[in-house]
Amino acid sequence: MTDALSTNYFDLFELPVSYDVDLARVQHRYRELQKAVHPDKYANAGAQERRISMQHTSLINQALHTLKHPVERAMYLLQLKGVDFTMDNETTMDAAFLMEQMEMRENLESIREKDDPLAELDSMSADVKSNMNVMAEVFKNAYISGELDDAREAVRKLQFLYKAKQEIDELAASIEDEMI
Amino acid sequence: MALLQISEPGQSTAPHQHKLAVGIDLGTTNSLVASVRSGEVQTLPDEDGNHLLPSVVRYLKDGVEVGAVAAQHAIIDPMNTIVSVKRFMGRGISDLRLLGNKLPYNFVDEGMVVPRIHTSGGDVSATEVSAEILKALKGRAVKTLGGELQGAVITVPAYFDEAQRQATKDAASLAGLNVLRLLNEPTSAAVAYGLDSGQEGVIAVYDLGGGTFDISILRLNHGVFEVLATGGDSALGGDDFDHAIAEWILQQAGYRADPDPSLVRLLMHASRRAKEHLSVQEETEISIDADEIQWHGVLSCDQMNRLIEPLVRKTLMSCRRALRDADINNEDISEVVMVGGSTRVPHVRNRVGEFFECEPLVSIDPDKVVAIGAALQADVLVGNKSDEDMLLLDIIPLSLGIETMGGLSEKIIQRNTPIPVSRAQDFTTYKDGQTAMAVHVVQGERELVSDCRSLAHFELRGFPPQVAGAPRIRVTFQVDADGLLSVHAREENSGTEASVDVKPSYGLTDEEIETMLRSSMEHAEEDMQARTLREEQVEAERVVEALSSAIKADGELLTEDELKSISARRDQLVEAKGGNDPALIKRAIAELETACENFVARRMNTSIRKAMKGHSIGEYATEDESK
Repeated sequence: MTDALSTNYFDLFELPVSYDVDLARVQHRYRELQKAVHPDKYANAGAQERRISMQHTSLINQALHTLKHPVERAMYLLQLKGVDFTMDNETTMDAAFLMEQMEMRENLESIREKDDPLAELDSMSADVKSNMNVMAEVFKNAYISGELDDAREAVRKLQFLYKAKQEIDELAASIEDEMI
Repeated sequence: MALLQISEPGQSTAPHQHKLAVGIDLGTTNSLVASVRSGEVQTLPDEDGNHLLPSVVRYLKDGVEVGAVAAQHAIIDPMNTIVSVKRFMGRGISDLRLLGNKLPYNFVDEGMVVPRIHTSGGDVSATEVSAEILKALKGRAVKTLGGELQGAVITVPAYFDEAQRQATKDAASLAGLNVLRLLNEPTSAAVAYGLDSGQEGVIAVYDLGGGTFDISILRLNHGVFEVLATGGDSALGGDDFDHAIAEWILQQAGYRADPDPSLVRLLMHASRRAKEHLSVQEETEISIDADEIQWHGVLSCDQMNRLIEPLVRKTLMSCRRALRDADINNEDISEVVMVGGSTRVPHVRNRVGEFFECEPLVSIDPDKVVAIGAALQADVLVGNKSDEDMLLLDIIPLSLGIETMGGLSEKIIQRNTPIPVSRAQDFTTYKDGQTAMAVHVVQGERELVSDCRSLAHFELRGFPPQVAGAPRIRVTFQVDADGLLSVHAREENSGTEASVDVKPSYGLTDEEIETMLRSSMEHAEEDMQARTLREEQVEAERVVEALSSAIKADGELLTEDELKSISARRDQLVEAKGGNDPALIKRAIAELETACENFVARRMNTSIRKAMKGHSIGEYATEDESK
């Protein structure tokens, strides 16, 4: 009998091993799994069972996080293929891409001086989002055809874009808060 | 099955017996206890018929007063009468200084981790004060329900950080309560309204209590609660309305000096009454008759609304923020639940209704709604409703991070991540031969460590000396279903477990709790031992009972040999439980657990498999084996 703790996340959630995931299905499966293992179901059990229940629930939460996350899902897929990397030491060397990112960041720093910074930020956020979608496609195709180096490069860029989008959205949130 | 027929004379292990469990709302201003009795949930009154226990504790030279008795002395004996202690839970001296000039207590400042208040009855921490409130509620419940409590669900603001949750749990353990779960107050309120039964949709819970404001956005789906986002302010509440009114009175009276503690109390009392009157009438008269100040005047509803509007607006800003975090628009909210006495203020109801564009739910007493939900959940957790489908999924309200170079916080677990959760992080050494390292854990959203709340310093020791940068120390942060953190560490290259020394930044250490327990008992030694024995016996009962139902449900997962070995260990435990040696019981539990390890893991897997409806078990197993 196999152990849920060592099952890969896609199997655990009964999904095909693929970058494309059906998020509604993920949520549905997540709830079913939680109902089976959550510590509340073991509130009356002994310490051992409660501990094991917590381990399983943590794993399912970790799996949910990974499956929903556009970058971590890609990293996890590479990991399943034996590509192990820590993002810290990895960065893309694509000069054109890096230049684009730097320009965007400069733009972000002076955004408050614009007439309508929120509109600017909204459009920047949308741009980054669509770039992420393009990059996700690049990753997917490389992954499917087994070009793991290309897939890895796509993940590095995806990570860049994801961080940029977070920064843009956080800045928008704080400008909005100031306006209330 | 012969296994199921074991029952101890005089012990209550009958499977169908109703177990006593309570829900406790440990509030800033008032606390309540509720329970499900004969299928009906009710808050439990004291002998005089009062449901609300004022969260006030007065320390005398030779005893402690809790509740209304203590509250009556708040004005004449302010230094020994502790009110709104919830604001100090899990807080350090530096946090308290921020609230400083509003607090009329003598804080003992001796560089201690946990601030203590100097009273006639000795120096006490916020945890001990809260424990007195919990003891009073526990006593009330035991008396009313007529038996020992199996457990309690205690509610906390969704915004409470780890230190505050830990302090609450410590208070419960000082009060001798078995905590089934710490439950977020808003989640509890939603349960009270039965929003879990068959409803789907997104709801907002607006909780404005005496001292805290919480906004939670919950999604309900087929009996499962998910907290999409929480927000709020752990230092904003109805007390601040009273403050605003009190300051207005001082202004009107032309009083410019700093009011002394008893005058502050007097003003706060008058302000609170005025606020309550203005919930049902257009204006109210206020009279202040003290040595320093005599004033008489009229406060209109409009004027009060103007005074409190900045505070109400602050709460609505938190609402906006929570909606954004949840990625939800106003119009997606199908219900708004109102919680906390301060939501009786009509201006608050109006503004909240406007903001969410829907009529808020107010049919359950907003003071009782949280305790009622907690009691319903306690009833489920203790096993009185075995077929219950309700499951409350919670999230971590504030990100957990660790200090990195330059005093920056690196987030390890982002806020709004469902709990329990564990995350691993790899560390390495800076110096050759280094065998120990320190990890500083903080909680909060800000980038600088100094802007976040310090939770604990963990010292990892005992990994083998290697050249700098070679060791891979994997540190795993585990947050349990109550939002409490534990840490363990392992050096991956050598496989050695590192020992972890925890120095909580604000909490009490286990030793301190034990010392408090001892000092709170008259015959310390004997009482401690009796308590330890009772605790082990209760745990043993739990284990034996859980095992019986496990075997009943999934006995077929065991081979005959395994069953024999488990049964033998179980009999051993039952025998140890009848004796009076806590260490022996503990050992017997551990041995039984070892014998059950495979069984428990197998059951968990089976349970996961059973959750996979529509897919055959065979299909799943084959997929897996092909890996």
